[in-house]
Amino acid sequence: MADLNLFPLFLSLRVAFTATLFAILIGLPIAYYLNRSNGRTSDMIDTIITLPVVLPPTVLGYYLLVLLGRQSSIGVLLEKHFHITIVFTPKGAVIAALVVSIPFLIKSARSAFSTIDPSVIQAARILGRSEWNIFFTIMIPLAWRGIASGITLAFARALGDFGATLMVAGSIPNQTMTMPIAIYDALLAGNRELANLLVIIMTTVSLIILYMINRLDKKTSLKSR
Amino acid sequence: MMLSVKIEKKLHDFELHTSFTARNGITGIIGPSGCGKSLTLQCIAGLVTPDKGKIMIEEKVFYDSNSKTNIKTRHRNIGYVFQHYALFPHLNVEQNIAFGLKGMDKQDIKDKVSQMLEKVLLKGYEKRYPYELSGGQQQRVALARTLITEPDLLLLDEPFSALDYHVKDLLEQELLHIIKENFTGVVLLVTHNMEEAYRLCDDLLLLHEGQVVQFGQKNAVFRRPENVAAAKIIGCKNILKIDSLKEWDNGIECLVQNTRIWLNPQSLKGRLVTHIGIHDEDIRFVNEENEPNTFPFEVIHTVTGLKQSSVTIRVGSILLHTAVSNNDISRILAKKLNVYLPPEKLFFLVG
Repeated sequence: MADLNLFPLFLSLRVAFTATLFAILIGLPIAYYLNRSNGRTSDMIDTIITLPVVLPPTVLGYYLLVLLGRQSSIGVLLEKHFHITIVFTPKGAVIAALVVSIPFLIKSARSAFSTIDPSVIQAARILGRSEWNIFFTIMIPLAWRGIASGITLAFARALGDFGATLMVAGSIPNQTMTMPIAIYDALLAGNRELANLLVIIMTTVSLIILYMINRLDKKTSLKSR
Repeated sequence: MMLSVKIEKKLHDFELHTSFTARNGITGIIGPSGCGKSLTLQCIAGLVTPDKGKIMIEEKVFYDSNSKTNIKTRHRNIGYVFQHYALFPHLNVEQNIAFGLKGMDKQDIKDKVSQMLEKVLLKGYEKRYPYELSGGQQQRVALARTLITEPDLLLLDEPFSALDYHVKDLLEQELLHIIKENFTGVVLLVTHNMEEAYRLCDDLLLLHEGQVVQFGQKNAVFRRPENVAAAKIIGCKNILKIDSLKEWDNGIECLVQNTRIWLNPQSLKGRLVTHIGIHDEDIRFVNEENEPNTFPFEVIHTVTGLKQSSVTIRVGSILLHTAVSNNDISRILAKKLNVYLPPEKLFFLVG
């Protein structure tokens, strides 16, 4: 027990929280845009966004490597001008988790936005509110239930990612080894005991977090029935 | 205040072509569903942008395709009551009513809201949520929410269609009262119910397939529709095609399927009249015979209503729809009476 290393757990939580935060910041505006327009461009964007749900995580990881790797133009640019390396760092793990989880948030938020009665939004406009203001005072509160479930799903997906993270961030112990990878690693090394322990910790932590999110969701949506 | 609207808007298989000037008071926009009533309101509010035309209230231009002016909805200072009220479901009554007062002093908002609550008879309901209110209460919140912003123009989109029949009459008068007490500008009221429009409005604008077919003071419109489309919208049940017409000094003689019907002398001003019309309640039953416009008849069909019955009769080969009070119906059916079409009640229609 003394040599139990909890770094993978904390890394996993940190990566999942950061990825979910970015998913909210990037995903909500995209969901809002997709809900407002139904042209060909938005259909295309919608399809591309859904792709990570369908593709194997390894394929996604491969794309990310090609796109952000040290040989790619983006990778070179980031490294030269900002001294940022994505591949084989926790940043890479966050990006991998973000890409696999953001579709869940966007899908849920979009369908939640679409259930809002358009005349309620028009009423807000007529009463003099700006689009920006309407987004925060009408759209978000009314779509909150759907958005919250999207956040839960995104967080769960980010916490559990294996394939994409492994491809982009690798499995460097105490640097980029997240919980799912650590479990796989333990199993490969024949350390059944460690694997069991890690699985139990992972399950417990996931249960607790999901329960807390659900409670929070119920409290906030009771207020905004 | 004067609202002048002259707009064109094309949607895939529909074309709106409205032009009218509304004065202070309530102008009813009436027509069958799909005639462009609500679209007209949406264009005025800026929720839909017309293709062409001009919308202005007094000197303030909302939209002008020539000068490429298109004021944003939120800057038009308009009051709008939606068909299903569109209250904010996550805000309570107080918050709903204060929604349009953003940026004002907190204490001012409080005072204004409490005054408004009193006016719309909702004192004590401050903390209720929309789903806890009846339809009529929700409607009053919607009205209060918009009146409190002191709009230049008030638009009401089918405000009574979502209410139960038995409370409708009461709420109608209540709403009318609140509006008359608190608003002096131009009100546009969209409805497809002629009775409701007649009770509430001062002027009527009749719309048919996106075109204005008649516009004027309500009694003028109701008593003297100008064309067949207008007559249908106001609910005129007897619209007869004229075969030929002769103008005499003492009246105009029309031949309708070999029956001679006289109308009062009037200038037709080169109007290409094709039909004559008469409201069902204007047709009378009399003892006289062999007088002009008096005919023997045969009852075809009777539909007994609560207080009034509609009786379909045949004169020659013309079918006429009449409205008879239930007290009179046996008298009419039993005795040998004649039907009389008062010449002053008959009107000419353009096809």
